[in-house]
Amino acid sequence: MASNLVKLSSSLLRKTLKKPSVARRWKTNQAVSYKQSIINVPETRVSTLSNGFRIATEDSGLPTCTVGLWIDAGSRYENDRNNGVAHFLEHMIFKGTSNRSQEQLELEVENMGAHLNAYTSREQTVYYAKCFSKDLEQSVDILADIIQNSNFGEEEIERERGVILREMQEVETNLQEVVFDHLHASAYQGTPLGRTILGPTENIKSISRKDIVQYIEGHYKAPRIVLAAAGGVNHDQLCKIAEKYFGKIGVTYPGEVPMIQPCRFTGSEIRVRDDDMPLAHIAVAVESVGWTHPDNIPLMIANTIIGSWDRSHGAGVNVASKLGQNVAKLSLCNNFQSFNTCYTDTGLWGVYFVCDRMVIDDFIFNLQHEWMRLCSSVTEFEVERAKNLLKANMLLQLDGTTPICEDIGRQMLCYGRRIPFPELEARIDSVNSEIVRTACTRYIYDRCPAVAGVGPIEALTDYNRLRSGMYWLRW
Amino acid sequence: MHRVARPVKVLSAFRRFGTKASNGLNGGSKSPTEVPLSEPLPGFPTPIFANVSEKAQQETRVTMLDNGIRVASQPKFGQFATVGIVVDSGSRYEVSYPSGISHFLEKLAFQSTTEFDNRDTIMQYLEKYGGICDCQISRDSAVYAASIETEGSDAVVKLLNEVSRRVTISEGELAGARQAIGFDLEDLNIRHEQEPILTEMIHAAAYRQNTLGLPRLCPPENIAKIDRPLLFTFLSQYYQPSRIVVAGVGVEHDALVKSTEKHFSDKAIWEEDSSLVLPAASKATPDNSTAQYTGGDRRVEKDLSNISMGPTPIPELAHFVLGFESCSHHDEDFIAFCVLNILMGGGGSFSAGGPGKGMYTRLYTNVLNVYHWMYNATAFNHSYSDTGLFCIQASSPPEQASKMVDVLIREFKNMTGPIEKVELDRAKKQLSSMLMMNLESRPVIFEDVARQVLAYGHRKTATQLLEDINNVKEEDLRRVATKMLLSKPSVACLGKLEVFPTYAEIERDLASSVISEKKQRRKLLTFL
Repeated sequence: MASNLVKLSSSLLRKTLKKPSVARRWKTNQAVSYKQSIINVPETRVSTLSNGFRIATEDSGLPTCTVGLWIDAGSRYENDRNNGVAHFLEHMIFKGTSNRSQEQLELEVENMGAHLNAYTSREQTVYYAKCFSKDLEQSVDILADIIQNSNFGEEEIERERGVILREMQEVETNLQEVVFDHLHASAYQGTPLGRTILGPTENIKSISRKDIVQYIEGHYKAPRIVLAAAGGVNHDQLCKIAEKYFGKIGVTYPGEVPMIQPCRFTGSEIRVRDDDMPLAHIAVAVESVGWTHPDNIPLMIANTIIGSWDRSHGAGVNVASKLGQNVAKLSLCNNFQSFNTCYTDTGLWGVYFVCDRMVIDDFIFNLQHEWMRLCSSVTEFEVERAKNLLKANMLLQLDGTTPICEDIGRQMLCYGRRIPFPELEARIDSVNSEIVRTACTRYIYDRCPAVAGVGPIEALTDYNRLRSGMYWLRW
Repeated sequence: MHRVARPVKVLSAFRRFGTKASNGLNGGSKSPTEVPLSEPLPGFPTPIFANVSEKAQQETRVTMLDNGIRVASQPKFGQFATVGIVVDSGSRYEVSYPSGISHFLEKLAFQSTTEFDNRDTIMQYLEKYGGICDCQISRDSAVYAASIETEGSDAVVKLLNEVSRRVTISEGELAGARQAIGFDLEDLNIRHEQEPILTEMIHAAAYRQNTLGLPRLCPPENIAKIDRPLLFTFLSQYYQPSRIVVAGVGVEHDALVKSTEKHFSDKAIWEEDSSLVLPAASKATPDNSTAQYTGGDRRVEKDLSNISMGPTPIPELAHFVLGFESCSHHDEDFIAFCVLNILMGGGGSFSAGGPGKGMYTRLYTNVLNVYHWMYNATAFNHSYSDTGLFCIQASSPPEQASKMVDVLIREFKNMTGPIEKVELDRAKKQLSSMLMMNLESRPVIFEDVARQVLAYGHRKTATQLLEDINNVKEEDLRRVATKMLLSKPSVACLGKLEVFPTYAEIERDLASSVISEKKQRRKLLTFL
């Protein structure tokens, strides 16, 4: 049965997905017509409770599942005084509730063979559990308990300060994170996105129980929370469970309704020179667009064209990325990767690289040459390859219940829906080299970049010279 | 309280996330490149989704072809298939070669073949079907696999034959591999993470100069030595059809068998051109020696006082591994060892993850939570077709190294003592969930299918394994632990060597039966 299904859908896939009828659509004025596609994945079902709390599931009938809360709250909602509280809260959430002591909570999860996890980003906070599908309700019960009834004991808060300070040290040994924090601090200087997620040391030392409770009461509101689940999860059953455990979460705010303030991008640089370090760690980025902006698609394709490269992967010069070919030929770096980090209304598009102190300027020259080529003369061939690769990477990422659940939760918060993959494919297919060039010209060409460098970076290209590499004298 | 103090405001769920009024030029005819991602493309039909009830669990099917190749398949939900081969090869077979052949083959994987000019042509070929590929060569197997849209399965099988039996290995690629291996070794040396080096050392101690004890990483002095004739000779010996399993997850069995018959019928490149292979070796048969567990001592002096890449110092650590012979994955005690591994558990004293990471395993409750200077302590059970190695890997500041060794010895001895029911049940439950959660992932299923078929000729289903786990009893764990401790200890030390006790001292402490006394000390230490 299942193999028949696979066969059936694969033969249909070729007809429906591989030849999108949207090709060259941008040239015509007529209404777009799309063919319906059959896909061998289950539907994402979405329901909303009366208080605005949303439930989104993809049921694949497996014996295990991932279920979690995706909350529209992160360090972006903090101010100078309480910066770090969202992350502090994440640490305190597993420390016991009015129904379960910390030890009871830990043993309950461990004895079920389940896993609880949490993370905080600049715009989202996530708590999720992996468990056997038969334990779904118990996991939701635990998740509901920790976000609604946590104790936040004074003693535990004091103890956690030390743990967070130690985590901070740990993060500081990860130079990529250090560089990205500096990049945000520079690019979004004077705005909430410029702050770190962990917060400054003095805040970690001073955040009180009151700050944490205020943060929860001011942000964990039903319309801002999504319960996402993937694996062996029955949607109707989960909706009933959700009604029981989350039906009473409020929609009213004690004070001001928090709204996202626009975060201004500033072309600028931060240099943290340390000649004792063996390698230079550098990120260069321009401002791109927010999650929902249609230009995100061509920018992601451009991002795939730049690609990534690592000298120990052994591929040498035989890589798709032109930048990869050049740096391999000239030994210009240890590794590089391009990135496109999105927020609600803005984003950072650029490249992070690690290299020897003597070749920084050469790498930057090659990088900017590649960027200018994207804006002016990127070929149809490269764009086609990148489109295929992008689609493959997006689909292949969805391997296992946790990545699928994360995708559902993130998309529900970012887009307010889960984009069916055929639609995403149609959107990618409708991009051609001209659209990539136009988008790149809009966001990269003659724009002021933000630059962050850590390590032996005396030779990091002077900002004014770097800025003048953002255009070509060609007209 | 403060809720009533101020006027209540309601935030509509749809203010930020809802659908905005369309601002397109003329509604339905908007180009897909202008529609925000938060809105469905106008006129885009709802796809017809698969339904969970239509999916039936099917078991793995295996077919043996005339030339000895085995083909295995497993149906699975999803638009992608993972197809690959596992070869009974790897560094354990390098005894009559300079060590490092497998490391080279891994770097040279998916490069030029008789039909594909270079790595980039292979990538372009795969990208047509939205595929990506990967090769990993371990001590006892070589895995080449690609994940690809289901319709590309036949194309992948063709590619798999090319990259395993039709490789050309140009001089340029060989030079590139030499360089990449040099970078690999360099990166390993400056990395904070010492685990790959420690795993290498404990294997070298446990299987002295034979099979699994041979290095997996190419020793620096062999980088220049390894050349095309050596590589082709090795390939001709080990990449024979009878040592290859072709496996696919999410593919149709008969189609996979047909593709394999079609593409793997070519002669291997070394059969077409015998000058590629060293003349003396052409008649040699593959090395069939069984792994000999010897036990022993491996110590490497290394200055770890300044390994930080950045301005934040990483504390200097002394690394220690203590191991004993467990059993092969064919053995009936294998599952008991897996449960024992989970029961010991452990991890870093500072690690990410909430409840569920094994917070109540013994290496947490008896070790990491008690001795705060312990940086990490983790149990591993490496299992192979003919032997296994159970070990605990730990690190601490050099000043505490000898105490760390004492603690590990005590924990090993305690394994033979009583095990509480709740502890055992938890370990069994966690092993079951780990198994099932790993099997969510298609590449993991692929490896599981291919390795099991290579080892046993068939695949044990998850249900069978769950039952085996369920049947493990306290006596089983105590019995396998007692048996394990009869083997000679294997020891690996890395860092400042003068801080570690000698091998003789470790053996003596293991032999003395003063667990109770040490237990006492542990109780005392909890108050420190």
